Amino acid sequence: MSIRTLEPRLPELEQRSRVLFQGSVDDLDMATRSRLTRARHAALEAAGPVGRRAWFARIPIWTSAAGVTAAAVFGVALWFGAPTAHHGVMSADNPMNLEDLELVASSDENSGDAMEMLQDDIEFYDWAEKATSTEPVA
Amino acid sequence: MPRFGTLSATWMVWDGPAPAPGGAVLEQTRELDKFLAEIERRAFRMAQIALRDPEDALDVVQDAMLKLARNYGARPSAEWRPLFYRILQNGVRDLQRRRTVRKRFMTWLPGPKEDPDNEAQDPLDSVADLSPSAPDRLMQDQAMQKLEESLRGLPARQREAFMLRNFEGFDVAQTARTMGCSEGSVKTHYSRAVHTLREQLGEVW
Repeated sequence: MSIRTLEPRLPELEQRSRVLFQGSVDDLDMATRSRLTRARHAALEAAGPVGRRAWFARIPIWTSAAGVTAAAVFGVALWFGAPTAHHGVMSADNPMNLEDLELVASSDENSGDAMEMLQDDIEFYDWAEKATSTEPVA
Repeated sequence: MPRFGTLSATWMVWDGPAPAPGGAVLEQTRELDKFLAEIERRAFRMAQIALRDPEDALDVVQDAMLKLARNYGARPSAEWRPLFYRILQNGVRDLQRRRTVRKRFMTWLPGPKEDPDNEAQDPLDSVADLSPSAPDRLMQDQAMQKLEESLRGLPARQREAFMLRNFEGFDVAQTARTMGCSEGSVKTHYSRAVHTLREQLGEVW
């Protein structure tokens, strides 16, 4: 396939144009040759070692996109699947917050009931104390 | 049935070449360097014929080298030549397209007219090398200049077919693969190119 080996069966035009072209290649000035060499070295250097690419560079780009999408779906699922109280949203309209308020309110009421019960049975406690103190020791 | 070495799940398929060991990588880099060194001058001249401007030709050649090394360096070396010329021809075509667009755009813009005294070209470039030791050189240079002008006048596909077949020595199949067309198209482009060149250069040569 070398262009220097001329084929005798080639018509004159093709043969002559090939010789002329090769002559113009051979006559390239030193400055152009030097620039071509520098360009080649720069290209090879920029491309890095041939045939060696980092493992992550081999992964198709859509694989990364699929990973990001999966992570996003998982995050959304976690967000909506978690108990509402853990969301950290405090609002008076929230039913869970209202229940909490009722519990706090009811705890005050319960303590009031206990005091009333104590006042109702005070005679019983008084009798029980006297009965215990006057009971002869066996 | 999945092929050996290829995972069946489409999202895990990896058919690329296995990473080469360090020594093989170095050897392949050296081989690519040798290939590019062998090809660079002819590639430059072909780009220069198509683009006229040596700076543009140098840019296109360097870009083709970079793309070949980066994207196809790991491929078998037998594939490099057609791949390189395909990249080069694409680069030449892109640059010519950009030039055409720029030219159309610039005609709409008012701007200073070109000063004939301020030519970017070095006047020494137009001075012929009249070395007495090489009288034939002048004739050869003139013939090559005529050839270049005629080649520039050809449609891009005809010029590509002629240069790849004649200057680079590609056969019809290789030229078709490089140009991304059928072998029949290559034959047509080439024969039209030869016909036109013969008409234009017949008298000179």
